Amino acid sequence: MLEIKNIHKSFGDNIVLNGIDLKIEKGDVVVVLGPSGSGKTTLLRCINFLEKADQGQAIFGDTQVDLKKASKKQIYSIRKRTAFVFQNYNLFNNKTALENVTEGLIIGRKMTKEEANKIGKDALDKVGLFEKYDAYPGELSGGQQQRVGIARAVSLNPDIILFDEPTSALDPELVGEVLEVMKTIAKEGTTMLVVTHEMSFAKDVANRVIFMDGGVIVEEGPPNEFFQHPKEERTQRFLKRVLPEDYIYNI
Amino acid sequence: MSNGLDFEFLIDTFFVALTGVPVAILITVVSLAIALPLGFILALTRINKMLVLNQFSRVYVSFVRGTPVIVQIFIIYNSVPLLLASIFEKYNIQMDVYDVNPIWYALIVFSLNTTATLIEVFRSAINTVSKGQLEAAHSVGLTTVQAFRRIIVPQTLVVALPNICNATVNLIKATSLGYAMSLPEITLKAQVAANASYNYIEAYLDIFIIYLIICSLVEYLFKRLEKRLRKYQIAPTA
Repeated sequence: MLEIKNIHKSFGDNIVLNGIDLKIEKGDVVVVLGPSGSGKTTLLRCINFLEKADQGQAIFGDTQVDLKKASKKQIYSIRKRTAFVFQNYNLFNNKTALENVTEGLIIGRKMTKEEANKIGKDALDKVGLFEKYDAYPGELSGGQQQRVGIARAVSLNPDIILFDEPTSALDPELVGEVLEVMKTIAKEGTTMLVVTHEMSFAKDVANRVIFMDGGVIVEEGPPNEFFQHPKEERTQRFLKRVLPEDYIYNI
Repeated sequence: MSNGLDFEFLIDTFFVALTGVPVAILITVVSLAIALPLGFILALTRINKMLVLNQFSRVYVSFVRGTPVIVQIFIIYNSVPLLLASIFEKYNIQMDVYDVNPIWYALIVFSLNTTATLIEVFRSAINTVSKGQLEAAHSVGLTTVQAFRRIIVPQTLVVALPNICNATVNLIKATSLGYAMSLPEITLKAQVAANASYNYIEAYLDIFIIYLIICSLVEYLFKRLEKRLRKYQIAPTA
């Protein structure tokens, strides 16, 4: 459904993406792992044109787009088929929770207010915020804000939702509620590309795990295989550092 | 002189000075109408480091900020007529440059001046709205113009409002310098009235009170507006 070919991106002398290929089928939940600075976030941002890649192709169903030379029209059409959940939520602070969700529907998709409100309320119900339609972001906790962010993405009914470290800015006690919501929408068959450090989410929910380092994909595979029998030495080192349980038992 | 205050003159002149209020308000409103959008756009050129326009805005701000308004008035009021005269002569336009209503010069000076102030006001205010919200707006399918109109500008205005109020009050007070180019505003009217009888103290008291009333009123209106626009900024719970 979505295919990315040979993405390259540098910031000055710093090469962040060095030729990434990625293929995602409908209903896939793909988790991208990797140390910080490995280019995970930049990959997501390039797919949604929040960052312009230096080179690369994206094939979306039957449309092929050059990531470097895409026209404004192509960018809008890709953005219509994708949605983005940000690390820092990036809610519109001057809009209520419901308005945050309906803004893209009314202005971007030209829906009527009634239609948009119905979809928006359904989306907020789904993430468990049925009492917070009229709350402003300033009145919500981090976890609630991120759930509004997810509702905003879900309501657009995109082909794929891109999650950029959706729980990294949250207090530890609020991480669970957000992961729970993500699990629910994954179970409904939503196609997701998730950058995260939550290993348990990768293990339980993903059907494919990708490990990135130094701007390239080092290893990928189904979560069972990936976590239990990593082939590459770099992957093994990374997993040892992020999965300390093994260490505790080894002492 | 020195028989205490001439109350009859004080009251009469108060109403004479009041007839200058519409001119002061007109200049304030028109200057703001020009300076608000212009200042916002030039602030954007500075934030986005746009070529040429960015440098232009920076130099422009430092020129206007680095010189007294009264000097700017003298320069515009004396140089523009000369410029116009030579243009009129060249193209054979039958018009006396010294017939031009001084209100036009005042509008030029005060628009230019307020624009410079507002560039800096908006520059700092726009920076307080996170860039992430613009990205989020893009990601849900808004164009940049839509994102600015619906998300960025409303939040920028709330942050900028106290400073816009400040600039407005300063502008109203600065219109009093219009007397230097015989602009029939509050100060000039009172001064002319006092010239006949030498009751300057009374005349100055009158204009003192008038400016105080206008500026207090403006501040009150801005406070009301701010309260209304700020309704989304409730104390955060997180």
